[in-house]
Amino acid sequence: MTVRPAALPPIPFTGIRPRLRRRESVLIALVAIALVAGDISLSATHEIAAGGPPTLGIADPGGLAIYLAVLLGVHLAQVLAGRRTDQVLLPAVGMLGGIGLLLMERLPQDLVTQTIGGRTFGLAEIQLAWLVLALVIIGTLAIVVRSDSWLRLYKYTWAVAGIGLLILTVLFGVEVNGVRLSLRLGPITGQPSELLKVILVVFLAGYLSENRSLLIEQDTRIGPLRLPPLPYLAPMLAMWAVALLVVIVQQDLGAALLFFLVFLLLVYIATGRRSTLVIGLLLFVVGGLLLYATIAHVRTRVDIWLDPFSDPAGAGYQVIQALHAFARGGLVGTGLGAGLPVVSGRLPIPEIQTDFPFAALGEELGLAGILAILGLYLVVIERGLRIAAAAADDFRALLAAGLSLVVGVQAFIIAAGNLKLIPLTGITLPFISYGGSSLLANALVVGLLLAISDRGVESPPPPRPARRSPRRLFGRPGRGSSGGAAAGRAP
Amino acid sequence: MTAVGRGTARRPISANVAQVGAALVVAFGVIAAGAGYWQLVRSADLSSSPDDPAVIAAARDTPRGLIEDRHGTVLASNKKDADGEPYRVYKDKSMSPVIGYASRYYGTAGLERAYNAQLSGIARSDPLAEALRKFQATPYDPQNLTLSISLPLQKAALAGLGSDRGAVVMLDPRTGQVLALASNPTFDASAIADPATAQEAWTAVNADPAQPLLPRATLGTYVPGSVLKIVTAMGGLDSGALTAATKFPQQPAAEKNGLVVSGFTIKDGHHPFTDGTVLDLPDATEVSCNIYYALAGLKEGGGALDSMARRLGFYAPLPFDLPTATSQLTNGGGPLPGGFLDDVELANAAYGQGETLVTPLQMALVASTVANGGLLMKPQLVTAISGRSGTTTIASQSMGQVLSAADDAVVKQAMMQAVEGKYGRLFTTGAAVPGIPTAGKSGTAQLGGTGEPHSWFIGFAPVDHPQIAIAVLVEHGGRGGSRASPLAGQLMKLFFDTEATS
Amino acid sequence: MDPTLISLWILRILFLVLIYLFLFAVARVLIRDLRSASRERSVELGRLIVVASPSAEPAVGSVFSLDAVTTIGRDVNNAIVVDDQFASAAHCELTFRGRAWFIEDLASTNGTLWNGQPVTGTIPLGYGDEIQLGGTRFRLERGRSR
Repeated sequence: MTVRPAALPPIPFTGIRPRLRRRESVLIALVAIALVAGDISLSATHEIAAGGPPTLGIADPGGLAIYLAVLLGVHLAQVLAGRRTDQVLLPAVGMLGGIGLLLMERLPQDLVTQTIGGRTFGLAEIQLAWLVLALVIIGTLAIVVRSDSWLRLYKYTWAVAGIGLLILTVLFGVEVNGVRLSLRLGPITGQPSELLKVILVVFLAGYLSENRSLLIEQDTRIGPLRLPPLPYLAPMLAMWAVALLVVIVQQDLGAALLFFLVFLLLVYIATGRRSTLVIGLLLFVVGGLLLYATIAHVRTRVDIWLDPFSDPAGAGYQVIQALHAFARGGLVGTGLGAGLPVVSGRLPIPEIQTDFPFAALGEELGLAGILAILGLYLVVIERGLRIAAAAADDFRALLAAGLSLVVGVQAFIIAAGNLKLIPLTGITLPFISYGGSSLLANALVVGLLLAISDRGVESPPPPRPARRSPRRLFGRPGRGSSGGAAAGRAP
Repeated sequence: MTAVGRGTARRPISANVAQVGAALVVAFGVIAAGAGYWQLVRSADLSSSPDDPAVIAAARDTPRGLIEDRHGTVLASNKKDADGEPYRVYKDKSMSPVIGYASRYYGTAGLERAYNAQLSGIARSDPLAEALRKFQATPYDPQNLTLSISLPLQKAALAGLGSDRGAVVMLDPRTGQVLALASNPTFDASAIADPATAQEAWTAVNADPAQPLLPRATLGTYVPGSVLKIVTAMGGLDSGALTAATKFPQQPAAEKNGLVVSGFTIKDGHHPFTDGTVLDLPDATEVSCNIYYALAGLKEGGGALDSMARRLGFYAPLPFDLPTATSQLTNGGGPLPGGFLDDVELANAAYGQGETLVTPLQMALVASTVANGGLLMKPQLVTAISGRSGTTTIASQSMGQVLSAADDAVVKQAMMQAVEGKYGRLFTTGAAVPGIPTAGKSGTAQLGGTGEPHSWFIGFAPVDHPQIAIAVLVEHGGRGGSRASPLAGQLMKLFFDTEATS
Repeated sequence: MDPTLISLWILRILFLVLIYLFLFAVARVLIRDLRSASRERSVELGRLIVVASPSAEPAVGSVFSLDAVTTIGRDVNNAIVVDDQFASAAHCELTFRGRAWFIEDLASTNGTLWNGQPVTGTIPLGYGDEIQLGGTRFRLERGRSR
């Protein structure tokens, strides 16, 4: 019989007790200054390109003002709520989102349009709307979520909901290039695979924290071999099969890779068993070879990765253009708005706002900018993993670790794909890529991380002795009572 | 949760988290390294490559730099089309294999491609100007190219080839500057560059079985025939295996009955005048005796022959403003020094048959080296690059003293006899420039099967202090003396009539 | 040299510099966090020492470092596992609230004893007090700095 470890009591709602979040306010101020400087630089470049003298104006002041206002608003809301949550996550995410917003403002606005009620919205406006919604979600989760039982206790419900969502997409989704990856609700289209990754982490955190000891200590014996136990191997194989299916049916290599990697790493974190990594690697190699041999589009992706110049005008075009963009950037880039030369009225890289924002930023901000962005992602990961390490119990630790991994591994996959370090996949760069579903899912991640990071009421001062120390039998110097002579007494 | 006391099996989650965190940091470090590679290491070559969209965009909007010949005649210029966008116009189609084309739809070729960055203005000749480019209002400064080519010579060379396929290379042996680099058939580059006629011209030119887009002077490889004997002579003299007085006693008999090399008989029947005479080096060159040279090649050995050829530029693309094919003496892989399969192959290669393949430019360099006292000058097409920021002159460069001056004098003497000598004149009809001592060598490249042999001539003039070196190849032109030699003589005469400075 | 372009260049570099300024500020926070975390860890909340035990699990004399919430019982998922036939799967819970320690019996079959008295509900503990589950007895001690 498995006994659930006692769930931590929910953090009590002690009413609005504002607490200054000094570090966060300083960081948010720095974010605001940096983004304003970037916006001024962008507008100056636009003015020079149009032929006039540059003035110290701001491109799209309304958009940036709204963004910074909402960011500040979330900060103030947290100040008012007075929970001792992490102070670095929100500014880091704010900086990433801001850089993404500047990029969307810099790109031609007609790349994506949405018409609602007669008014047409362009790329930056849509992205701004989603960013605002994302920030609101982060703030709400950080303030309101105080217990994790709704996640921990209903993990199977969440799992079923996730699978249901996946099936819905496969059956009723919007078809693009022969695959169904999105669902449409009225004017809004979303990619459920983004939400699925959060559900996966919630389910895994619950399952692994419950069965942690079982998974660590027991073994399945097959003859002389000691293998990990069945409740351990079975989910691994199931997850591997699901990943393969996602690749085959949905042709979504990126999502499959993300799910599989996050799953592996989370199991490793929970159990510490090296066999996780060995078996995982084995399954990956076998699965990869199988897919390469049988699925055409996997073969294309891998061949193009190995030698994009074998098809420079067709499949390899995107990657080659991305590498050229990085090369044009050099050390400090061409400057926001000054790169991405237009040939025949088109941008050099197709799908630049979703698949290749990393390359676009590489060209315009240079290696310095790229390293800074990588640094920002590492900051988010570090905070998330620190929250995991300091978490009060296994479930929260695994949940926090899994959520950080979701952001970090996703950023890794798409950045490496842009740089031809691994084959290109179609997943988004968290907080920077255009896309509502991506922003909202990552907002859920960050909001939950903030909620978990609450350190509760201030830790009390070191405990004072309840009674005076007993007489020292052996005249040993030292402080307080130590083991030995003291006997229990009534308080 | 920390758990002290439940044994070592349960490692705390925080420890595993730290490990995974470290792994992620390493992974991101790899990404940073990858970004550094593409953004620093490969930045220069990718961003100035002709396929880079920035380069293409600049090319479309900015008028490209002009290309002029050595006399200042404009060979490539720009016109504006109906939308005001510039496109390229070329003066004469004899220059097409050299200049290539710059087309809005079909990219670039030839010098337009090799110097695309300069002509479109992305790259500058001056590194300081390049660094300051960011601070200037118009970032693009298209550069003009001045070529060493002389348009009249180039046109005459093309006209001389007539309806025969082939190539002509003329260069100044003292500096390496190329005065003519003609290939036939050629094509109309203006038709490809003009957006109105581009598609038609492009399809036509690509469908033509004569391959007009192939610049034969630099990228065509041909069996050299007897012109390669000069290389054999140089190799033998340099290694000491041959001297001017070297004779082979078995040579006269072998001319009659054939030379047996490792069981294979080499026959040579094209100089009946000398039966009975044992020839020395200059005489053998004058009558182009295959037997003599086969024996000479065997005497000097594959190693010496290979070494001299490599010094002249064989087995590697030549350092040149345009892409070049590599010349070879053999396909290689054989056990003998130099990669020859056996003595038979070595003997055949020594007189320019076997698996030898050369480009006309390479043979012109051979002639140029002999002309220049054994000092090989790097072939040069572009002599100056000029723009808003000033002019950069490209100095001539030497590729090394290939042969000592004393040995070179022997070869010069031999080649002079081949053109001016009593018998030599019969082999190189028309190559001698009237009134100017000329030296050279003809070649009849047997193609072992159907078709006439290739007609070759390489030479230089005047013999003392040469000013011009030439190589002429006429595909299937017959004997060396029938097409290549008279054309070479005609072109050298034109040079002396119009261009010679001293 | 065009002054407007120079100022433009300065603006572009400024943007990058400001992003790095942000990263440095974050780095300072991270380092400070690391230092205080290592300092925190050196202060233990409390410890339980095994005074008597009928089985080898836990061994007599072994010391358990306590967190804010520590569960004790026979099930392997507890923080302190007691292999005692009279102990229930989830037997009792030791918590540190505010400034003092509390013990709560989790409806165990045989009950928990505090200094020999049965525990009902949640009662406060002092240092030196002993609690007993089945045949296993622990003593609560003050935490040590490590």
